[in-house]
Amino acid sequence: MSFLELQNLEKSFGDTRVVKDFNLNVAKGEFISLLGPSGCGKTTVLRMVAGFEAPTSGRISVDGKDITRLRANQRNVGMVFQSYALFPNLTVAQNVGFGLKVAGVPKSERNPRIADMLALIGLPDLGDRYPWQLSGGQQQRVALARALAPKPQMLLLDEPLSALDAKVRVSLRNQIREIQQQLGITTIFVTHDQEEAMAISDRIVVMHQGVADQIAAPQDIYNRPSTEFVAGFVGTLNRLTADVLDPETGHIRIGGSEITLGQPLPAGRVTLSARPEAFRLAATGIAAQVTKVEFLGALISVAAQIDDTPVSFVLFNGGDDPVPEPGSRIHLQIAPSRLLIKQAA
Amino acid sequence: MSFLLSTLRRRLSLKRLQRRGGPRPKSGNGFRRFWSWTALIVGGLYFFLPLIGTLEFSLRMRRGEYSLDAYRSVLEDPRFQQTLGYSVIMALATIVVGILIVVPTAYWVRLRLPRWRPVIEFITLLPLVIPAIVVVFGYIRLFNTSSFLPMTGTTMGTNILLMFGYVMLALPYTYRAVDTGLSTIDVRSLTEAAQSLGASWVTIIGRLILPNVFGAVMSGAFLSFAIVIGEFTMASLLNRPAFGPYMQILGANRAYEPAALAVIAFAITWACMGLLSLVTRITRVGRAGK
Repeated sequence: MSFLELQNLEKSFGDTRVVKDFNLNVAKGEFISLLGPSGCGKTTVLRMVAGFEAPTSGRISVDGKDITRLRANQRNVGMVFQSYALFPNLTVAQNVGFGLKVAGVPKSERNPRIADMLALIGLPDLGDRYPWQLSGGQQQRVALARALAPKPQMLLLDEPLSALDAKVRVSLRNQIREIQQQLGITTIFVTHDQEEAMAISDRIVVMHQGVADQIAAPQDIYNRPSTEFVAGFVGTLNRLTADVLDPETGHIRIGGSEITLGQPLPAGRVTLSARPEAFRLAATGIAAQVTKVEFLGALISVAAQIDDTPVSFVLFNGGDDPVPEPGSRIHLQIAPSRLLIKQAA
Repeated sequence: MSFLLSTLRRRLSLKRLQRRGGPRPKSGNGFRRFWSWTALIVGGLYFFLPLIGTLEFSLRMRRGEYSLDAYRSVLEDPRFQQTLGYSVIMALATIVVGILIVVPTAYWVRLRLPRWRPVIEFITLLPLVIPAIVVVFGYIRLFNTSSFLPMTGTTMGTNILLMFGYVMLALPYTYRAVDTGLSTIDVRSLTEAAQSLGASWVTIIGRLILPNVFGAVMSGAFLSFAIVIGEFTMASLLNRPAFGPYMQILGANRAYEPAALAVIAFAITWACMGLLSLVTRITRVGRAGK
């Protein structure tokens, strides 16, 4: 039932285990992101799926067929690279048609397909240009069209947006998602940018030191991170240490302030982890001192200190609360449902 | 000769740079300019005077007046045509075989064996430090009629042996040219992109790698051509009717013709150099927007 299956995938380079016991099932038409810091093994997983690296052990199968030992040029996967990798000696149309030509598709079928692809990426008139005559964003769209032209079983994207500037990055990622949904093509997208991954994925695989820490939908990754690493890597996380005064009502002391969370807590010391949006300004609550206010447009990011612990939270621009001044004393409330609570050691 | 050309070229590009408003020291500029022009002129005289002398001498076959008699005599000599024809064919074969060996090797080293690059570069430099005469004696010992591969036993075998000798002699230049060409493209990504589109190794090298390093391959080819046309040692010791030995025989027996032949040989070499820079410029113009 799952289209792409990665089972117990392992990869070592010399003594270094880059990917450790990696398992993933991808449904047909699903958009999966591999997210993680550089060196976490996400690109290696993608390259094993593409056939550029052979797994040290484990199994890769597509549609029930084992492709673990199949060569890259026989896998029928479309790949898009960070560096675009367009063939500089070929025109845009020749680039897009390359896979078809290699497959022996006659010119009469090739040309309409190339035209369709160029229309799909919104560059119908640029077929005669050479890659160096295009902007970075245009080149990457051509690379996408080239990867899709031979109707691959899967689309693999290796940090395709990293070399582009911020504005192009956002519009191209939306375009990639639209095209992916339009074609219903199974897609694996490698990125180190959490916002990118959240914006366009059906599910995200957060990787860390060669291991898949969590595989879940973007909301779950953000709201219910399963490991400390995921919690810290995706989004901003404030960590506060609190003494539990009454475990039953959840009455706790943070710094010099006491608040009641209204839910049972373990006795002793606990660590509270909260996203910036879990805080709000209030008349009473945890006392803090504002250290920095950053205006971001729709949001205002505020950095504050609770005793010696730094926290950061966000306010809506134009919300009911007045924007605090740096240096001012404020009180914060935390939404209990947005808290991750762990017994402190 | 090529040293002079490159000095001249450097000199000219330096001038162009200065005209574009590059760094121009105020004091001592005229002084420095004087000395650099002096050096250029002295160097130019050093290289050109003998050539002018040769040219002048080659025109004096007929007593009391300048004529092209020596050239006519050379061009009409059937051995001139035969040996030049032989050497041109050998040069073309050398270029083809050289490309077939060097391009895939340099490509593979860049793609899969980057750690071996210094070793391969060192090997390609060996022809510069091992004299051709040592190599050719080695060849004769290894491939003589009583050896496991009696190349010297037949004319064709000897021709092939000589051609491989030429490929080896040209290796320092061809390998470096191709390797430099490969450094201007992202070999790994292009290869992987082509592989994911279903291309085989032959397609990748033939349709993508070779066209993208065409300029560099051509530079290597013209250098090979120039080397083969003037090569003497190997052809002479393998007793093949090449242009180099012919020049030597003519030089030992005639007065004016060798001078004419030297001028012709220079013209051929220079034509090669000219083609080289022309091709390089054309391929560079093609990518001007990059």
